[in-house]
Amino acid sequence: MDTPYWNPKTETLPRPDLDRLKLHKLRGLCEWAQAHSPFHRRKFEQAGFSPDQLNSLDDLRRIPIMTRDEWMANQAEKPLFGDLITAPRENAIRYHLTSGTSGRQPLRVLDGTKDWEWIAEMWCYGFWGFGVRPTDTVFFAFSYGSFIGFWGAHYCCEKIGALVLPSGNMTTENRVRQIVEMDATTVCATPTYALRMAQVAREHDLDLPGSAVDKLIVSGEPAGSIPAVKKMLEEQWGAKCGDTAGMTEIGTIMIFECSHQPGGTHIIEDHFIEEVVDSETLEPVGYGELGERVVTSFGRGFIPLLRYRTGDQVKKVPADTCSCGRNGDIYEGGIMGRTDDMKLIRGTNVYPRAVEAIVREYDAIDEFQIRIWRKDNVQDEITVQVEFKPDAEGQSDEVLKTLGKDLARNHEGLRFNVEKADAGSLPRFELKAKRLKDERTYGN
Amino acid sequence: MDNDLLGNPTTEVERELLEVYERLQTLAAREDAPPCVERNAKKALSCVWQAVNDLGLRFEQLPDLL
Repeated sequence: MDTPYWNPKTETLPRPDLDRLKLHKLRGLCEWAQAHSPFHRRKFEQAGFSPDQLNSLDDLRRIPIMTRDEWMANQAEKPLFGDLITAPRENAIRYHLTSGTSGRQPLRVLDGTKDWEWIAEMWCYGFWGFGVRPTDTVFFAFSYGSFIGFWGAHYCCEKIGALVLPSGNMTTENRVRQIVEMDATTVCATPTYALRMAQVAREHDLDLPGSAVDKLIVSGEPAGSIPAVKKMLEEQWGAKCGDTAGMTEIGTIMIFECSHQPGGTHIIEDHFIEEVVDSETLEPVGYGELGERVVTSFGRGFIPLLRYRTGDQVKKVPADTCSCGRNGDIYEGGIMGRTDDMKLIRGTNVYPRAVEAIVREYDAIDEFQIRIWRKDNVQDEITVQVEFKPDAEGQSDEVLKTLGKDLARNHEGLRFNVEKADAGSLPRFELKAKRLKDERTYGN
Repeated sequence: MDNDLLGNPTTEVERELLEVYERLQTLAAREDAPPCVERNAKKALSCVWQAVNDLGLRFEQLPDLL
């Protein structure tokens, strides 16, 4: 069947039918969790909730919110996996860990045969929706470790019937060479690493824009939906760039950018309930308002996730903002940041993603780092170090001056120190980039 | 097998899919099947579950196959 949808039936269901389907699944998942997960059973009892109270999707709010801290405490109390899981570990076939970007203790997750297959299935919604087909050759710039990353995407491409090129521990140069040599049509990487590959390709006179690559699918960082970064990626690769986002806690992606590129990512609504709430009050916010994602995932039976606070900041807009015909609402601009990413500098909120969006407007800049430090043990300072492209060194003085003004103008006049870094001196990243160093100490 | 979870009549493809799903459930549950049958039936069942779930035909957990 020639269709732009992986699942034409439910991806185009009218909203009232979609909501009825979600309610049915929600009840089923809550019944399952109550019967098989002591963690959820206790939470339900404490909240006075029972699945038979779910008569409409509005009743979702009767279900108690779940947090990462609770989950971590549960795993610490009952090592290794806590009693959130609904079956013994012998039933599992996969073990993964959260990436721990925020510096906290990683979570341990297990999946069984059916759940693991579901993880790939969710990627299929996204990859098919962005145009991946059995005739494609898909290259994964991914190290295949305990971080779940693109594992599900790999199996999704096998399921679609594409030719899969796993790159494991190859060097960046060898990866780029294989992409060109094997006529890869689709490349999967973090946005940061895709930029790095493009840089290495230029250094070795490998013509990525002239290669067979026509789709670049990124994940793992918010940058894939920052327009300036997307523009850079599309220019440097000569390919369309599609954003996706997921999390280890659900094992897979819950949003993807379709081939219409609506400036955001569709929610896979028949498999997830995505609420957007005010982080303080936990009350729902309306379309177009920034809030925190709270996710309920129907597909993972081993680890039922019900109303899980993600810390991701998003802005939901209606599905018909996109012309593709899907019923899934859209997160405009993808994941816009993390509630816990925000830094307070001399009274001004600074989000690393916002800084990146500004820095990436400058074509002359190749790489950057943000350093937050304390001057004389009193005053907080923020410094942005930038590395210039070899052919743009001549512009450095002017760029440093203008960038400093741009950053200040976008941060209530906050003064940013902007410094030039030596070529090649700043770190490059394969997985999630760590471009922020907060060197401030507290309480001593 | 006549209706999906929303109460709509199933299509011919959906009915065939449900037949396969139910036969695989039976096969995967047999205790007298050799490992090559049992494990491949379970793997196949976990794949077919995806389509059954995607199309809103059934929504259930498979306790042995989570």
